[in-house]
Amino acid sequence: MTILPFPSILDDIKEKGLKKALYEGVDDVVQRVTAGMNIQDIREALRGEAPSRRPNPRLQPHADGFWLHMRPSFFHRDMTGIYPTFRLGWLSTYFVVFETITGMFLMIWYTPSPQVAYANMLNILGNVPLGQLMRDLHRLGAEAMVLIVWLHMLRTFMTGSYKKPRQFTWFTGVILLIATMFLSFSGYLLPWDQLALWAVTIGASMVEATPPAIVGENLNLLFRGGPEIAENGLLRFYLLHVLLVPALLFIFTGVHYYKVIVHGHSLPPRSENIGEDTAKRVPLEKRVYFIPDIMTSEIMWVAVTTFIMILLCVWFYHAPLENHADPQVTPLGTTAPWYFLWIQGALKLGDKVLWGIVFPTVVIVLLMVWPYVDTTPSRRYADRKWAMTFCFLFISIMTALSYMGLPEYGVAHVADQDVLHLMTMEPAHGHMGKLLPIPYDQLVPGAYTTLQIRAGEENAEAAVGAFNVLLQSDLRIGEGMSTQFRSAYLTLSGIPRFTEVPEGAYELHHALEEYEHAIQHFGAELYNGWGVMIITQDQPDLKRVDLVLMWEDVERTETGAVRYVDGRPVPIVDENGLPVLRWATDHVFIHRDAAYFAAH
Amino acid sequence: MLQRMLVERIESRILVGIVMFVGIMILIGWVAINENPRMASFTLQFEARAVERGGGLFAANCATCHGTDGLGILGRAPALNSPHLFGYDFFADIKNRRSVLEAERTTLTNERTDLAIELAEGASDRRRVEIEARLAEINDRLNVGIEADLALVQSDEDALNNSILTAVDLGYDPATFSRLTQANWGGTLDAYLYTTLVHGRGQNAQLWGGNVMAAWSQQAGGPLRSDQLRDLVAYIANWDRGDGWTVEDLLSVRQFAIVPGAGGGDAPTAPPVGTDDEVAVLQQIADAGIIGDPNRGDQLYHRRAASQAGFRLGCAGCHEGAVQGPSTDGTWERTINERLTDPLLAGYTPEQYLVESILAPGVYIVSGYQAGVMPGNYPEQLSLQDVADLLAYLRTTDPNYVPPSTQDQANDGALEQPTQQDNAPEQEPPPAAAP
Repeated sequence: MTILPFPSILDDIKEKGLKKALYEGVDDVVQRVTAGMNIQDIREALRGEAPSRRPNPRLQPHADGFWLHMRPSFFHRDMTGIYPTFRLGWLSTYFVVFETITGMFLMIWYTPSPQVAYANMLNILGNVPLGQLMRDLHRLGAEAMVLIVWLHMLRTFMTGSYKKPRQFTWFTGVILLIATMFLSFSGYLLPWDQLALWAVTIGASMVEATPPAIVGENLNLLFRGGPEIAENGLLRFYLLHVLLVPALLFIFTGVHYYKVIVHGHSLPPRSENIGEDTAKRVPLEKRVYFIPDIMTSEIMWVAVTTFIMILLCVWFYHAPLENHADPQVTPLGTTAPWYFLWIQGALKLGDKVLWGIVFPTVVIVLLMVWPYVDTTPSRRYADRKWAMTFCFLFISIMTALSYMGLPEYGVAHVADQDVLHLMTMEPAHGHMGKLLPIPYDQLVPGAYTTLQIRAGEENAEAAVGAFNVLLQSDLRIGEGMSTQFRSAYLTLSGIPRFTEVPEGAYELHHALEEYEHAIQHFGAELYNGWGVMIITQDQPDLKRVDLVLMWEDVERTETGAVRYVDGRPVPIVDENGLPVLRWATDHVFIHRDAAYFAAH
Repeated sequence: MLQRMLVERIESRILVGIVMFVGIMILIGWVAINENPRMASFTLQFEARAVERGGGLFAANCATCHGTDGLGILGRAPALNSPHLFGYDFFADIKNRRSVLEAERTTLTNERTDLAIELAEGASDRRRVEIEARLAEINDRLNVGIEADLALVQSDEDALNNSILTAVDLGYDPATFSRLTQANWGGTLDAYLYTTLVHGRGQNAQLWGGNVMAAWSQQAGGPLRSDQLRDLVAYIANWDRGDGWTVEDLLSVRQFAIVPGAGGGDAPTAPPVGTDDEVAVLQQIADAGIIGDPNRGDQLYHRRAASQAGFRLGCAGCHEGAVQGPSTDGTWERTINERLTDPLLAGYTPEQYLVESILAPGVYIVSGYQAGVMPGNYPEQLSLQDVADLLAYLRTTDPNYVPPSTQDQANDGALEQPTQQDNAPEQEPPPAAAP
């Protein structure tokens, strides 16, 4: 006879009393949720005690539950230290979840359209509570994930864990590496800023090189969604980023994990005999059970890593956001993301097809088939001289190629553009023009010349005075400068009177020094060159800084100025025997509230 | 050691995990409590940088017509750095003072009526004395004090009116002190600027003598993205001085906004010449007996009058002070002494050269200037009378020019001039002064 028309907890309460019935009810629910462990079992596990009942309830979740069916129920004791795994595999998985969660947060505030994507970023940064933190975490997590996955592969290689029977596990790992890099890369485009557009343009242009031409062109169209990356391209990258590549990643993560269950974790090389694989035959006394030891360890690593990530994003790292993407304006010093720099470096070696397509393909294929090529049985370091040599060669070559991918290497420089860029560049790649961080109050309207710096402190006044005389007396120079002002639409009545940088404007003085040093650095190309800096009050709270650079033209080749034996460059003269004057100019606007801070 | 501490003992792991979890909560809490100021400072910073970018865009795209300082260019495009755009009312204070005085007058008049009624209905002696005293006071204020104050307001208004005369001459109307009112715009200034940038002012060709504001938005076929237009709006809006606009700001404006009939184009009253054949045009002028009026030519040249074909011209915007083309001053003298000595212009009369320069500016380019700068559509904008008037005005740029003493003499001169000067490029006294 039940109290309600059907059996219910009320019957239990009637029978056993409230406290006992409730406890048993909760205990039952816990046991169902954990697929086998009740409250007492969990309490014992967390206290580090042995299980009090048989069969061991801590194995039950592995056998009956979904989540733990893909984790081994026990590990070999030799596997549980920091060495040999460094927890890199677990951290890779952690970052998949970490990126998914932070990514979903960002997804709420994002529309994949060039019309609004950048405005979405501004909204996330300026209007969404914790928006900046989420964006920083997602971006830093993406970079960290690429790094961790590479390191995980490096570790697997070093300990020879790819060897029989784990060749296929390694193979799926390479696929996961590619998926990770592509996830990170496809996320690059989404903010639709200059960094995004140009990094992806470089990456996508390699696809175009695929031979034959008809394949390359069509792949390129398919990839970019048009001749240029625009609406379609952004949408495609977005879908790759949030659907296709994550789907592949999740599937292959499943395969990767399944293989670990099947084969067990490979032991440190010294723990077993050459040619043996004892991962699945762990003696009882060497077993460390997943519950509770491995699980608490993993949760601890998650907590530590999350803490470090948040700490970094609160005080030390902010995801970059450059100016709105503009296909018309190619920024100087454009690079691919750091994990693709090796391809960019290889491209500088010559043929686009060979180095942009064939070479990366060979690298990836080599990584994939490596376990099937290297079939030597020993996993001991001392027995694997060739493999280790290959490994270090690989690391060295990748590092060297990555260095060659930097804009510092093998890119033709135009001296005057470099000098102006150094002074005026908008914040990008952690750098900004030397003019931008000058405090607004120190931007004293006036006209200043680098000749002040060149003359030294004592002769500064005389040098500036002489410069004023020069501008008035030498018509070519005076009119040349006026022409520069006119072409830049700078409102000035005539040639300004140059003065020394006022006392107290230290930062301004410092920027003028940087300007002078840059001109001196290119002393041969910018022969007899000098620069001026004109600061004007353009609007209330808005100043305009104009730079004009003048130098005498010299004979040049692609690599720089032609020089006489004594090192002097060869000047070019006009029909009157006068040096040919060359000019360059650029300007920036600086607002009182723009808050540029020097990169440290 | 790390191994022993963190990995081997479950208590350590749980402790570390809990500490880290608490740490995470504290960090996120720290971020959360700072979130409002952070978002505010980001927005401030971003808006500042939008103004900076807008400055760059303005210098590159807008300064050619609106002036590098945004003060407009005569005949080309109106000022944006102008109290008119931002709707500053210089007369607000005067209006306010006057309305306060008038309100006082109404109050006092009402009180006087009330007191008069009270007096008529009979009051105690003491009350009567009080009322009479008050009435005297009121009458004094009404007849002397308020009038004097109003006169002061009036004299201030007159002074202000006088001080802005130059601006009024240029087309500023204190009655429509706001551009938005003038343009019948119901929205905000930002929206007005933005939509103007998006669509441009294609229909304004007549007001600006062929210069039109293009549609700048990519959506409307122009070159700029919408975020760039936002930056431009931020930059233009940054010219606002709020309550700090001064009469000097108003006077420095070189061109005000124009609307049809108020300094803009007018209905055509005569057909345009329709040809750039200067000889034919001069012949037609002579045949029709048209007399050039230098005063009207001056007005046409400086945009103060519309041409008979209904257009306002921008001549002075480029030529006055040799901004983009040869200077207005001394045109006549230079034509005779410099231009006509060029073998390319052999056989030209000064009139022929000047009319050709107006109607077909691309035929002969004075060295030092660029081709294609001056619009070539004046044959559609000028009637025969307009050409004759402009010619007569340019005549007055000669330093030796003597104004005609009577209209008749001027007529003769204008008509005879082409034949007289045919073979005499040397400077001669103008025929008007000859008799």
